[in-house]
Amino acid sequence: MNAIHRRHPLRSSSEVVLRNLVVCGLCCFFILFFLVPIVVAFLGSFHLWNPLKGQYRFNGLTNWKMVFESSLFWRSMGNTFIFAAVAVLARVILGLLLSCALHSKTVRFLSTLRTLYYLPTITPMVAVAFVWKFMYDPQFGLLNQLLGAHINWLFDARYAMTAIVLLTIWKDFGYAVVILLGGLYSLPTDLYEAAGIDGANAAQKFRYMTLPLLKPTILFIVITSLISYFQTYIPVMVLTQGGPGTQTYLASYIIYDQAFVKYNFGYASAISFVLFLIIALLTGLSFRLSGQTEKER
Amino acid sequence: MKKHLTRILTLVIALALVFSAMACASAQSAILGNAVQYDPAQPVNDGQPISIELWYWTGAANLFQAVADEYSALHPNVTITLVENPWDDYWTKLPLALQGQDGPAIFNVHNSYHENLIGYMAPYDIAVEDLENDFVGVSAHVIDGKVYYTDYGMMTATMYYNKAMWAAAGLTDADIPTTWDSFREVAKKLTIRNDKGELVQAGFSFNGGAQGDVLGMQYQYGQNLFTQDGKVSFNNEAIQTVIQRMKDIYEVDQSGDYNFGNNSGDNFGQGMIAMYLGWGFMHNLLKSNFPDTDFGSFEIPAPSEDVPYAYHRYNGESTFGVNKNASAEQQAVAQDIVRFFLANDALQKQFCLANSVFPAKKSLAADEDILNVSSIAVLANHIDRYIWPGPMPSAVENNMKIALEDIFYNGADISTALQSAEDTCNQELAMGDFVSVEPQYQYAAEAK
Amino acid sequence: MQKQKASSGGSKGSGILLNAVLILFSLLTILPFLWMLSSSLKTNVEISALEQSFLPKAPTLQNYLNAIEKMNFLRYFFNSFAYAVAITVITLYTSSISGFVLCKYRFKGRQLLFSCILATMMVPGVVTIIPRYSMMQLAGWLDSWRALIVPSLFTSFGIFMMRQSCTGIPDEMLEAARIDGANEFYIFHRIILPMLQNALSSIAIFQFLWAWEDYLWPYLMIRSESKQVLSVALNMFSGRYSTDYAGLFAATSIAIIPVVICYLFFQRRFIEGIASSAVKG
Repeated sequence: MNAIHRRHPLRSSSEVVLRNLVVCGLCCFFILFFLVPIVVAFLGSFHLWNPLKGQYRFNGLTNWKMVFESSLFWRSMGNTFIFAAVAVLARVILGLLLSCALHSKTVRFLSTLRTLYYLPTITPMVAVAFVWKFMYDPQFGLLNQLLGAHINWLFDARYAMTAIVLLTIWKDFGYAVVILLGGLYSLPTDLYEAAGIDGANAAQKFRYMTLPLLKPTILFIVITSLISYFQTYIPVMVLTQGGPGTQTYLASYIIYDQAFVKYNFGYASAISFVLFLIIALLTGLSFRLSGQTEKER
Repeated sequence: MKKHLTRILTLVIALALVFSAMACASAQSAILGNAVQYDPAQPVNDGQPISIELWYWTGAANLFQAVADEYSALHPNVTITLVENPWDDYWTKLPLALQGQDGPAIFNVHNSYHENLIGYMAPYDIAVEDLENDFVGVSAHVIDGKVYYTDYGMMTATMYYNKAMWAAAGLTDADIPTTWDSFREVAKKLTIRNDKGELVQAGFSFNGGAQGDVLGMQYQYGQNLFTQDGKVSFNNEAIQTVIQRMKDIYEVDQSGDYNFGNNSGDNFGQGMIAMYLGWGFMHNLLKSNFPDTDFGSFEIPAPSEDVPYAYHRYNGESTFGVNKNASAEQQAVAQDIVRFFLANDALQKQFCLANSVFPAKKSLAADEDILNVSSIAVLANHIDRYIWPGPMPSAVENNMKIALEDIFYNGADISTALQSAEDTCNQELAMGDFVSVEPQYQYAAEAK
Repeated sequence: MQKQKASSGGSKGSGILLNAVLILFSLLTILPFLWMLSSSLKTNVEISALEQSFLPKAPTLQNYLNAIEKMNFLRYFFNSFAYAVAITVITLYTSSISGFVLCKYRFKGRQLLFSCILATMMVPGVVTIIPRYSMMQLAGWLDSWRALIVPSLFTSFGIFMMRQSCTGIPDEMLEAARIDGANEFYIFHRIILPMLQNALSSIAIFQFLWAWEDYLWPYLMIRSESKQVLSVALNMFSGRYSTDYAGLFAATSIAIIPVVICYLFFQRRFIEGIASSAVKG
């Protein structure tokens, strides 16, 4: 307490009031809308729980056992890892390339380009997924026409996941571009001028200055993307329903299917907890790997 | 003299009948129906104003409007508010709404969501015998001596064929196949390839939705879908035979291809394929989305000329459900609407035509307008030879879909894929309480 | 401008190439949109025909008219707009005030509280949505606007962004104001808020877009048609057996207009706001 007093000799009553108000509000809100639901869902994972039937019956570890024994779940977990890895990587790389390109002073129509790149991000996923479904049609789809190919995108095991990843990348790369562009604008320009005088070329500047400086921004994108890609289900729902076979089943598609189609809330809760743990683990890992564990302030 | 008397008597009776009929018609209070009767003269809710909600899913607003309009015309004190929801939303919102006090008093039902709804439904206050007198397939819907909903129509799969292609291949009505062997020959004749050997027109296609075709076809070999201990049976000789035949049509006969279109229904309308096994609803969908395609229907072929155990499975289009949590007054009105709907042949016909389903109401079985619809007409001879396995949970179709895609697209072995699907499906079925009604089938004793 | 770039390593030729590549890429990006727009002017018969052309053979506005007339489209549109604006305004305020307190005040458990808030970002939505539904049902809030707005009073993302932005405001500024006798409420509303404009703009865009696109929650909460929002209403085009693609594409085309306008309106501040916040990890 002493330390605090030393830092804020002038702490006024209004500060205490404001602080208490905010802390109280935050606590109430996050307890009510996160902690309580998580506890309820956790308890639910030990129950045969179907809210539509008004059913809530204790069934021990049955749901958890089913999750760990389900080959479909583990296959879909594998698919989810591949999907998330490729989508995150593509999002970051594409985002870096485009944002650096847009940052270059030779670029014209900057704001138009920025808007066009951001357009997919602001369109409802369900609608664009239908558009892409038409584009993937093997007979008259736009994609085969452009490529001059005869690929059955959504039913060929070699391409189905690619098709879903492509749609996801197209939908989301604008987000990465915008955030990285924000990062680039905040970089200190004097540093670059100094580097320019020292004779560093563009590639060197990118490798030794831009990339390290953008690291926190990239980490931010990686983590938010990981979280959202581990929860992707709409493209699967619209394009393939997990097919062909189980090639494009994603973990959250199973959750969606179990929770909001079949209403096996207990089983769905158990799966979502496994997913939750994996996401938390991965997030921790990304922080660790980047060696960036909350250093600033 | 005696003859004379009878003649006069007959005339008098006939006249009396005509007059009474006219009198009734002018008073607008003709009693509707046969065994299930509806008397419009009976006041509802003591003539006091009351309003209720009727929920239905998007697709046929005019049908429900017709019910509401006709009913309100008879009973101006009843206000029916129609609430429409898209198909997917409907099945989430309806059960949740039914839990509360303010759910709809009456709602449209589909049997695939039976498990989630049955707990909220009040039984019809109509005698089961009366229902059985007027409708087929009622017995499968009886739970503890009560009926909560039944079918107004039966939908099943029929073979659709493109008439222009049929003629172009030199085929006539006499070539309509009744066995799978002759079907395969016809399919070959309807297949066209270009100089490079690429498919231009497929004789037959099952791409996208083959699970709907397969689940039901095993009945042709006397094989039920569910075992007596309530488990699903996928990996059996009948289903293996059916799938092998489908593969042969593509791989041996070369009458189609897995990559030639992904939605055989649409592809049929687009003129890519000549024959396609589709469910009843396709009739109206094809008419509206592909108005230029002239098509006909024939009954699904069988393994031999003999009548099989069953041709395929059917699924019922259900009558309304009544909310048991609604107020007593509202429930009374809802029950009255159900009775009105069941007794009213004109409405029954309208609903059947809109969904291209074979009427469950016996009085409509030979109706001319209904038999004018080709996909319904072909069923008329054998409608008793279609089974309803009960309100199958979606797990059955989902897992069959996975197995078939693994076989057709990922090169999996038939038996392995079926076994794995069967195992997963049984695991999922264990979470619900589905009971097959295959034993209720009229010819259940013939099953293997 | 190009000369400046040339002196710092690039050549004029590569500048043109860069521009060409970027423009080509933007065309590829909007191709699906152009396809959607053109399809929204087609009939369903033409959309599903085997013979495809990029441009409609006989353009029709019927899909748009249908959407506006039959669908009560304007009503949904207005609802979505009101809902998105309400949530945006509220979260802007709560995020900035929370961000300010968490950044500038020292108190016991501050770091813990902030970490907890960050951790909630990792909770998959499916875990919490089911119990949240039951809570709303218990409270009798179903089918009301409260049910839509109250669970969004605070957002972890917004608080995180705002806290990061506040670190850019020097403490000396606050001390100066305090010495002048300003109370904390005055300081926050009159000094801090105006300084956070850019960050507010970027959160406004993110939040508005999320609220506008939000599907599952309004879908579960809202029952009456008069309160329904656009994203859920778009679902009305998918029937039981088939989807009215032309109608869906027309409605989606209209639905993205306000979003594009919102983006264009805020976009300069948007990027600068991100520059001031998310960057610092």
